[in-house]
Amino acid sequence: MAEIIKIKYLIIGGGVAGTTAAETLRQSDADGSIAIVSDEPYPFYSRIMLSKPNFFLGKLPFENIFLKKENWYKEHNINFLGGVSASDLDPQRKIVSLSDGRTIEYEKLLLAIGGCARRWQIQGSDKKGICYLRTLDEAKEVINAIKTAQKAICVGGGFISFETCELLRMKNIDTTLLVMEPYFWANLLDEESGLMIEDAMQKGGVKIFKNETTEEVLGDENVKGLKTKSGKEFEADMIVVGIGIMCPMNFFQKNGLAVGRGILANEYLETNLPDIWTAGDSAEFKDVILNEQIMLGNWVNAQMQGKTAALNMLGKKQPFRMVSFYTTTAFGLNIAFVGDMKVSEGVSVIKRGSRESGSFGRLLIKNEKIIGTTLMNRTNEMAPISKLIENNFKIIGHEKELSDAGFDLKKLV
Amino acid sequence: MAKQIKKVLVSRDLCIGAASCIAVMPEVFELDGENKAVLIQKGGVKNSGPATIDAFDVSSVNQETLRMAAESCPTKAIFLYDEDGNQVYPD
Repeated sequence: MAEIIKIKYLIIGGGVAGTTAAETLRQSDADGSIAIVSDEPYPFYSRIMLSKPNFFLGKLPFENIFLKKENWYKEHNINFLGGVSASDLDPQRKIVSLSDGRTIEYEKLLLAIGGCARRWQIQGSDKKGICYLRTLDEAKEVINAIKTAQKAICVGGGFISFETCELLRMKNIDTTLLVMEPYFWANLLDEESGLMIEDAMQKGGVKIFKNETTEEVLGDENVKGLKTKSGKEFEADMIVVGIGIMCPMNFFQKNGLAVGRGILANEYLETNLPDIWTAGDSAEFKDVILNEQIMLGNWVNAQMQGKTAALNMLGKKQPFRMVSFYTTTAFGLNIAFVGDMKVSEGVSVIKRGSRESGSFGRLLIKNEKIIGTTLMNRTNEMAPISKLIENNFKIIGHEKELSDAGFDLKKLV
Repeated sequence: MAKQIKKVLVSRDLCIGAASCIAVMPEVFELDGENKAVLIQKGGVKNSGPATIDAFDVSSVNQETLRMAAESCPTKAIFLYDEDGNQVYPD
């Protein structure tokens, strides 16, 4: 049997959650051994940049994508095991097996495994020219493809399509967007906001087809187009598929780790198993502000969870408390989400502005409190709304102000 | 110990409004109407700088937190300078 490597803090995942955790651990524990296992061979890079035009169109040097240099790991005495993945977990013996045959015995384990781009499972989806956008290697494929592409199709009504369509149009590539929902970003937004995004994309030259589900990818070895269930055919020499992410939890589940859509955790980001924490996109955690079990896929949430998980691994019992937010910009439209955006039972909506006026916000209200917001070209309201959510601001008596698009929300903070 | 930070600049070309800096240091950074990070300064001044840390609208600036805020930026849009005007981050 191979030698077992002993590590005090073992982190699975080299993204922003895992790397921030390692950094936080090292700040408080100068000597404890730390290892990061990452299935990508690269040091920590900016996943957020992968879909940004500055990076894609070469306006920034490629190396700028890296947020930590290789020597950062050495300087901080962090053992970076890149290009290997965890292949098994034995929580009783506290052992993680790696894909290269090595085994690690941990004292504390952080699962910051992130997600991977959901794969298309349709006929022809193995053809060349079908791209995803989640990892650096996937981004490299898209960068290569746009060099020669004449016609592109984006599939999916979310931020990957929103941002990718813009960079395709910047390269003057004929761009078609297919979404299966009745309007863009329908799983998160109302129709008015969704249509506002469509307005901006169409103005930018994107052809949008809604209520369309792909049946088959056309072509030989290479993509030549696709056919939808409604019988329409579209030509393309590249297709970018942005249909969400999924957590690669395969083996973790069978060893007693409680999972839902992600890895289940309490407000301390502890899982149901002793000495195992989770953070970032893979965490389905107890949000103490919303008092709900939620899962978020965004940079700043992962960053802050990495920090909180590390503090808890160090024994400094600290709940994760943050009003989460997400922003994206393309086609001259700034989009921001704060807190809980789901209009579930008992949630009402106060509107600010309108699609026609070019700036439109929605405040989601539950039990007389603001629980979230979606903002189109009103991102300057993110900060005051976050504060109102955090402070459990009671809206009673302020309904008129809140529905007045011109009212300065900072006055309520 | 790293060099003392004296001056901060946010590049509006690079900033994409990811708001990492705001998560780390909300007392100094916020997003403006164009979704770009600005520095909150005394007298209600808010701009992308350059601004010296004495101008920030806080009683004291934690050097380490400020550095972390800059390092957390996924587009490296936050530039830090020492008192001689030398760039200390990105290094």
